[in-house]
Amino acid sequence: MSTGMESKTKKKFIKEGTFGIYTGFFMLGSLVLAGAIIPRISKYGPDELASMPLAPPSRANFFGTDVLGRDVFVRVFDAVFIDLGTAIIGVAIPLVVGTIIGTLLGISQNKRVNSVVGSLIDGINAFPFLVFVIALIAFIGPGVGSIVLAISLVNWARYARIARTRAVVVNKQGYVEAARTLGFSKKRILFKHIIPNVSSETRAYALSDFIIVIIAIAALSFLGLGIKPPQAEWGGMIRDGKDLLTVGFWWPTVFPGIALCWAGIAVAFISEGLTRRMREVGTR
Amino acid sequence: MSTPNKPLIQIKDVVIGIPHKRRPTLIIVDKANFDINYGEMVGIVGESGSGKTMICRTMIGTLERRGGKILSGEVIFEGQNLATASDATWKNLRGKSIGYVPQSALAGPNPVLTIEAQLTEALRNTGDTKNIKARSKELLDLVKIRRVDTVMKQYPYQLSGGMRQRVMIACALATSPKLLIADEPTTGLDVTVQSQIMDLLKEIRSTMGTAIVLISHDLALIDEVCDRVVVMHAGATVEVGSVKELEKPRHPYTIALNSSRIDIAKPGSELVTIKGNAPSVGEWNLGCRFAERCSIVQSDCKVGVHPELIGASGTHQSACIHTELLERI
Amino acid sequence: MYPHRTLGANLMAEFLLEAKNVSVTFGSGSTKVEAVKNCSLTLRSGEPIGIVGESGSGKSTLARVLAGLQAPTEGEIFFNGEPVYKGSKSYTGEARRQVQMVFQDPYGSLNPQLTGLNAVAEAVRIHDKTNKDESENRALELLRRMGIAELDAIKKPRQLSGGQRQRVSVARALSANPTVLLADEPTSAIDQSAQAQLLNLFRGLLDDGLSIVLVSHDLGVIRYLTQRVYVMKDGVFVESGITEEIFNDPLEDYTKLLLASIPGDLGVAARRKLNKN
Repeated sequence: MSTGMESKTKKKFIKEGTFGIYTGFFMLGSLVLAGAIIPRISKYGPDELASMPLAPPSRANFFGTDVLGRDVFVRVFDAVFIDLGTAIIGVAIPLVVGTIIGTLLGISQNKRVNSVVGSLIDGINAFPFLVFVIALIAFIGPGVGSIVLAISLVNWARYARIARTRAVVVNKQGYVEAARTLGFSKKRILFKHIIPNVSSETRAYALSDFIIVIIAIAALSFLGLGIKPPQAEWGGMIRDGKDLLTVGFWWPTVFPGIALCWAGIAVAFISEGLTRRMREVGTR
Repeated sequence: MSTPNKPLIQIKDVVIGIPHKRRPTLIIVDKANFDINYGEMVGIVGESGSGKTMICRTMIGTLERRGGKILSGEVIFEGQNLATASDATWKNLRGKSIGYVPQSALAGPNPVLTIEAQLTEALRNTGDTKNIKARSKELLDLVKIRRVDTVMKQYPYQLSGGMRQRVMIACALATSPKLLIADEPTTGLDVTVQSQIMDLLKEIRSTMGTAIVLISHDLALIDEVCDRVVVMHAGATVEVGSVKELEKPRHPYTIALNSSRIDIAKPGSELVTIKGNAPSVGEWNLGCRFAERCSIVQSDCKVGVHPELIGASGTHQSACIHTELLERI
Repeated sequence: MYPHRTLGANLMAEFLLEAKNVSVTFGSGSTKVEAVKNCSLTLRSGEPIGIVGESGSGKSTLARVLAGLQAPTEGEIFFNGEPVYKGSKSYTGEARRQVQMVFQDPYGSLNPQLTGLNAVAEAVRIHDKTNKDESENRALELLRRMGIAELDAIKKPRQLSGGQRQRVSVARALSANPTVLLADEPTSAIDQSAQAQLLNLFRGLLDDGLSIVLVSHDLGVIRYLTQRVYVMKDGVFVESGITEEIFNDPLEDYTKLLLASIPGDLGVAARRKLNKN
């Protein structure tokens, strides 16, 4: 019987989760690359009359044309940067703001502050995300900036809640108390010891949140509240094409839909891959 | 009740590994060898990573659920080989003839059930549903819990660590098992509580005739309460004997463990420590796995397979192939 | 007043650390918890002391007060004769540096994101105000003294055993060059063999001149390391004095109970003596 893994015969083993992470990055990467290249090299601009309206997919127009005669192929990829970019910002801002506020709340001894801000966080979290965002946009008015603002105003609270719970636990840990006995400055303890260990949880949440935000942005544009035409954007394209689905013109809607799914699935792969890798590391 | 001559449970040349989808199986135990007789209290002592927890899981049949697999060897309980037993067989044994008390820090009574509910659940395992309440109170009495009526209605969070462990012991005893496996039951508890629980286990052993397996890293504790000792190091059984026999240990590891005991140390003097660490799973060397830490290691200790236990079962066995050099330590 | 026997000579030596009438009360009204009630103790340089008691005795709270992490509700702590809290919530200045602590749970005592080397080097950098290379060298040296080889120093805590983690924690505490080290149940969560290593380490530090306050529920460990001990129950000291004397001739019933509970030969011997009386 062999006695464990003898070092001489140790091969390089594939870590758990590698498949997911690589696949996801590949999918995302190719999407971004296409988003960068295709609008540049395409014969048609995203807002140009390319051919007959509602022409089916052909060699001239890979994804066909939409109701205004624009080339769907170039529009789908022209939307990549704005859709993904807005989503990234829409996650990054709440992540940073929420983590910091949540952490400060978690380590605060001040009962009054804790109760006021805590209630605010719980209050915001009580509302369904999209409903609240829509309500805010109805207030602020549509546009890219409004989307980012509205999403940030609502989403930070979800991160803050995670951060707060985690910060309370981290604050009690031996290494934080040790940092205090060693006389580390409050700033150092907060930024080098507490926040990194709190943000590990919020960053994990950010990954799955990204998918929600991408879809939310598309949903907002679908409802006409988001990114203004004529800028190509998946949600808007789906809205423009939805009434035509029933009469057989599927391409103006389906292709942007696939792009949306592609982005979401890519992030899901990465998220799952990372989770599996973390789990494996944890059990050793 | 006359105790039969054959052992209650025999662990024979057991090898346990953790199979993995993309890698070779990781061997955790190679080999484990010991017997437990009816009504005796046996201590399994070893450091973390020695495989003692895996052995424990083997004896209660939760090995597969935790990703482990018996690769070879036999686990014979009352004549039946459990290594190849089906889930159905285990259902009839686990919680019935074989009881289990987990480590107090890691597991305990179900936090959402009252003590009465826990005991009721345990008693249903006996198949006899008459007088459950009365029998529950008897069980609490058995584990020396006072104010039985109050405790029955309480939830685990209202009890101290020591009392929770008593409740776990009570649940395990509901079916009057022949074998009770206690996995580090007092680790993390105060010594005063530990002392009481050990007294309780000894009493259970004498009044109910239950064989008890006590798993611990503390040799002093095992020395005090057990009849026989099984010493494990890096997944192998290296010494087996009665407590009395182990006063003169016959394996360098046991000698080292014994010497590092605090209770027999002279205050302020240098404690004997075992140099280095046990090889971690996956990094086992050839031959004896204590070789790197052994003070009497010879060249033939590091070749081939890990030495087997020398000596017949029931006698003082040791896996050291150079016991003639032991007096040099 | 509980029975207290003092060391004969050396009464003129100044106390390194002294607690005077310290009380710690948490909460208020119906949820008031008096963890520590009017406790006074002294620590002389070079004379390790122990505080022994079960969970809930208040010993950990008292340890945290002595370590400068928890301000007492009443009373004061004196370091080298000077009061240290003076109304503030924690130690400041020299006292903060010179009094360090090792905590019970090895699994929470190290930042999971830092290697042992980084954790100790960070502490060295803060105290010695050196650059990265020097602090790393000193950190490696400290870790080596604690029996942590360079190979293990660059590992993350999850790759280390409980005993190794405790030793890294001690190295980190020592980077401040303290004169007092408080250890709250340092051996409770680790294996017997790792316990022996850690206690040996402490004994070596005592020889080097460090003063140690050992808090534990195990009198066996206290007996091995300390010269004087305070027995604590429900927030108060029930007995105190020279460790050896307490061992051979305990006066209080609670102390006798603790002695009888020590695992192994010591406990057996104590129980035998108790039953004889």
